[in-house]
Amino acid sequence: MKTKLLLVAVMFISTACANMDMDKVLATAGKVAQGPAPISETQEIAMGRGIASNLLGAAPLLDNKPVQKYVNQVGRWLTLNSERPDLPWHFAVLDDEDVNAFAAPGGYIFITKGLLARMKSEAELAGVLAHEISHVLKRHHVEAIRKNTRTSLITGLAKDSLRQSGVSPVLTNLIGVGTELYARGLDKHDEYEADRMGVVIAARAGYDPYGLPAVLQTLQGMNPTHSNLALMFKTHPSLSDRLDLLDRAMSGSLDRFETQPDLANRFTTVIGQ
Amino acid sequence: MRWKAIIFLGLLSSLSLAGLTQAGRAQAGEIAYTVRPTELKAKPFSDAVTLARLEQRTKVEVIGRRSSWRQVQVDGKTGWVKMLSLKFNHIVPLWGADRKAGDTGLAALFNVASTGSTGSSVTTGVRGLSEEDLKHTKPNPKALEVMDTYGVNKSEAQRFAKVGKLSSQSMEYITESASGAKK
Repeated sequence: MKTKLLLVAVMFISTACANMDMDKVLATAGKVAQGPAPISETQEIAMGRGIASNLLGAAPLLDNKPVQKYVNQVGRWLTLNSERPDLPWHFAVLDDEDVNAFAAPGGYIFITKGLLARMKSEAELAGVLAHEISHVLKRHHVEAIRKNTRTSLITGLAKDSLRQSGVSPVLTNLIGVGTELYARGLDKHDEYEADRMGVVIAARAGYDPYGLPAVLQTLQGMNPTHSNLALMFKTHPSLSDRLDLLDRAMSGSLDRFETQPDLANRFTTVIGQ
Repeated sequence: MRWKAIIFLGLLSSLSLAGLTQAGRAQAGEIAYTVRPTELKAKPFSDAVTLARLEQRTKVEVIGRRSSWRQVQVDGKTGWVKMLSLKFNHIVPLWGADRKAGDTGLAALFNVASTGSTGSSVTTGVRGLSEEDLKHTKPNPKALEVMDTYGVNKSEAQRFAKVGKLSSQSMEYITESASGAKK
């Protein structure tokens, strides 16, 4: 308790010194005093739907149903090998040249055409989707939204759930915070965790588990000044660090899955030519 | 059931995704460097014959991958090295003598438009999703409804896995401590 009080005091002084707005100061103090309020799975899904809708406002869907279906088949199969198989999982390819992938709370996963075009097998696609799925499994975005929001707003969300229909102003606010996260990125430890979990989920689903590091190596071979890499580089830890940590995490532990298929042919049939 | 899947795959192959992957599966020209002393193996197995011992920072040309192994060419020899013993580089490494000019690698391979021959290429293709786009976006509920129609149910996903001969395995997640020091 003493530590908490001290923390509050330090935060007050430092924020006051930095001449920050009073709202933020109060929010910080509130968070420390009350602790985080829970966000239910229903709210998580509603939030994710709103964030997904915003993302689709920034980049259109790829107009190719067979490819969209295929990505959903791979993704949905992966989720059946995860801890949250019953979420309303949805996957989509964005018609965008940027090289990136996104997850929104509740099970909305996106991959850009620019990233898909650089992949060589279904195992590589599975690796990237499994990384994004892991963010949803661990509620990384929900937690980040909560950290970046005033406690009163989260409390408001709890009251909101008593109302029946429509997207409330409180939820709209949280959806805005969630959408902004795509420009800022998650904590790097969330990314490393999603990498470690992603390779395991791919292995569990019967794929060659080295698809994810293979994609990361492909990106490593690209010109780093390429503008289509800018947002991904800004919002993720360096490829070298990610590959270095995956190297240590995977060595030895995934040997028994070495012979699992990468389904390069099925991938090429659907995506290529 | 099987004929349905065959027809489905047939349909998929006839509907090409123009502009997505023009270069096929070729991987020629990807340059990588060993990050540690590495054995060049005749086959992608640890107990395969060793063809050569590569020193750290040896330049190799990557031609393929099988699980955790990359097939490479080095000094006229073709063999296999552990993939995570390699670092892919676009820009000249500090120790490197030869330069890979401009964006002649994957970008050209996938026909992603770029210009410049100095190594600092400028994209001329369609600009991708930017931070600004995300900041000023508005909801697109219509696109979200379309996205909903792509959804796949559990039994459909299981059938898809079966066609690909994918079977579920059990494995615990790798803990942070097992992955080495915190970065």
